[in-house]
Amino acid sequence: MALKPLEIYKLLPKKNCKECGEQTCLSFAMKLAQGKADPASCPYLDSEAKAALSSQTGAPIAKITIGMGSRMITIGEETVFYRHDKTFYHEPAIIYRVVDTAPAEEITALAARIREEKITRIGIDLQVNGLAVDLGSGSLKQSVTAVTTANEGGDIPLVLQSEDPEILKACLAVCGNYNPLICAATEHNYRELCDLAKKYDAPLVVRAPDVEKIGALSKECMGLGIKKIVLDITGADSGEYLSRATLVRSLALTRTAPELGFPILLDCSGSVPDNIVTGIVKFASVLITPQLPVAEMTTALVLRQNIYTDPQKPIQMTPGLYRIGDPGPDSPVFMTVNFSLTFFTLQGYLEAARVPCFLLIVETEGMSVLTSVAAGKLNESVVAEWITKTSLADEVNEKKLIIPGYASPLSGRIEDATGWKVVVGPRDAADIGRFLTEEWK
Amino acid sequence: MNYILPHTWSGSIQTVTIGATKQEGGTRSVSYEIGGDTDLPFMNRSGKKPLLAYEICDDTAIWPQVVRDAMPKGISDPASWAAYGEKTLKPDCIRLNLTSTRKPNSSDFASISATVQSVLAATTLPLIIEGSADPAVDSEVYIRCGEAGQGERLVLGTAEADRYRSVAAAAMAYDHIIIAQTPIDVNLAKQLNILLRETGIPDNRIIIDPYTGALGYGFEYTYSTMERIRFAALKGDDDLAMPMISAPADSLTVKEIRESDSPSEIAVSWERATAVASAIAGAAILVVRHPGTVLPLRTAIDALWEGSRREVSDGA
Repeated sequence: MALKPLEIYKLLPKKNCKECGEQTCLSFAMKLAQGKADPASCPYLDSEAKAALSSQTGAPIAKITIGMGSRMITIGEETVFYRHDKTFYHEPAIIYRVVDTAPAEEITALAARIREEKITRIGIDLQVNGLAVDLGSGSLKQSVTAVTTANEGGDIPLVLQSEDPEILKACLAVCGNYNPLICAATEHNYRELCDLAKKYDAPLVVRAPDVEKIGALSKECMGLGIKKIVLDITGADSGEYLSRATLVRSLALTRTAPELGFPILLDCSGSVPDNIVTGIVKFASVLITPQLPVAEMTTALVLRQNIYTDPQKPIQMTPGLYRIGDPGPDSPVFMTVNFSLTFFTLQGYLEAARVPCFLLIVETEGMSVLTSVAAGKLNESVVAEWITKTSLADEVNEKKLIIPGYASPLSGRIEDATGWKVVVGPRDAADIGRFLTEEWK
Repeated sequence: MNYILPHTWSGSIQTVTIGATKQEGGTRSVSYEIGGDTDLPFMNRSGKKPLLAYEICDDTAIWPQVVRDAMPKGISDPASWAAYGEKTLKPDCIRLNLTSTRKPNSSDFASISATVQSVLAATTLPLIIEGSADPAVDSEVYIRCGEAGQGERLVLGTAEADRYRSVAAAAMAYDHIIIAQTPIDVNLAKQLNILLRETGIPDNRIIIDPYTGALGYGFEYTYSTMERIRFAALKGDDDLAMPMISAPADSLTVKEIRESDSPSEIAVSWERATAVASAIAGAAILVVRHPGTVLPLRTAIDALWEGSRREVSDGA
């Protein structure tokens, strides 16, 4: 079980020497409890205390990187079971698989797709992350050729899929310095694979038929000095994966089983779209999949962005004047808050209504209409401020502002503070179309 | 080493029975017991597999364009639509959305009774009804629905914090189940359940609709709210222990679909992914509109939860 700050404090020297970089031993203890400090920074800990602290502090799930450079993948370091408890930190890597018997042009094309294809949402580029080469041809030459082709450019993170130490050895000779993920060690080959992983300092997947055996194998590899482990807990179907992932995540977070304190890999080949969804929402860090059609890829990337959004930091829109279609001086003016979800919902319905209009977004610190009205963040002065800042009066002939239905208690005060006539719009953005056709004008 | 989950639960999800067979006083070929789960969704195949509802409506004017484009030819009314749904897509239930009541000044209440009766006659499956959303007509609409479906143990939606009395009264008077919808907030969901209980609705007649935001446009709020509701219920909070329903309809009108060259493909992918994620978060009923979503969603749910659905009665 994780130690509380005061329990950690009892093990510290209590000298407040500041040599660890913290002002006091107590603040060092707090940092340790949060996994944000290393016990080794304290020069006065005896080895017993250091060992006790090392196993009980630090991220309960190890941080692992795959690949190098700007496309390097970082996974692990997760600290919670539910995203609403804090946040999930490192998005799962989506890795396209190609077989080593594929023609070189196909491998090159897939690498290019991973390099170039992206969708941009809320100003963020979303991309598939890497390339897995399935070294199943049985031909050393074929495998090495495929990996050489895949590694051209050296920028796309690679996963080497084979259980054959000889093939992996030959392929690592080509790309081992680019930090590929070696996939995978089993009870039959783990000694040779641990040697290879150590030689290249590369991360290693461990694979076994059930979670108990995966844990046992992980422990063996740890015993051989391997620190960068990824657990392949792919089951027979998404249901089995889900049960396994829940178990592994729980035991890792409670530090009940340190050998399970590593990122999770899910091979999605069975039923691709459903496994991808399951893996994204429930704890996978590496998702290996055949290359996806654009629709499925978009869905996966957007779901991943949603789930890995920090719940404590709602995505905010920049306040200001937005235009839907090509509005003119007689177009309606809507006002709402700068909560991104409100904005996108309203924008969607306004676009669907096909009536060009202005949309004034005021600063409410990313709060929704209901919340910002209750908290006083949406008030007449903020509306007046943004009407002035955007020179809204210069855009339209008539000073008439449509406010959200839930902001209706503010209508009188907004009129007084701004001199604009206020019209209370619908509560639900879905009614905007009807509102525009029937009540507006 | 034998690994055991480090948590235990004290609560369980309330069971709710939807639909009524002949023996139970209705005319459905089947009825379902939902809820009853005692662990996180899908853990070790425990609990019940979510039901799939195929949603139809009585006025397609406000139905998503991508769904209208995918409708099979020859469907002219809700009854033939329901029959097509049951026969071709094999969902577990049908949801009838009375979109005609969303027109301003709608007052054709007689046709509502007729529509509900015709759909009940056209399908043997349990029926969920999404009624009006306007306090001015709610009372008339829900009474007509309740009456037309008397004995069938319908699921009637939707009660909201500021307009729940009409639907609650109809559910009480005619012995139906009620859907309680709140805007993606665990505390508001709890409050509404308490309000409904105060009107006399027993807990085993309430289904929570935490509202399903569109994928890419706030679905993460829904996902976490559903996880929080499920967690609270398992921890023993009876006010949140009702089963949940999720309808990812908003995911069918997003920009990505409207602006796509192949809207149907992305609509099915978007709706299905939202439904699967909702199921994993704890939804007991998944409502979908695109006909192309039903069969793949069935496959997804089967993979998450093997084994047969527990049915109260085969309604022989």
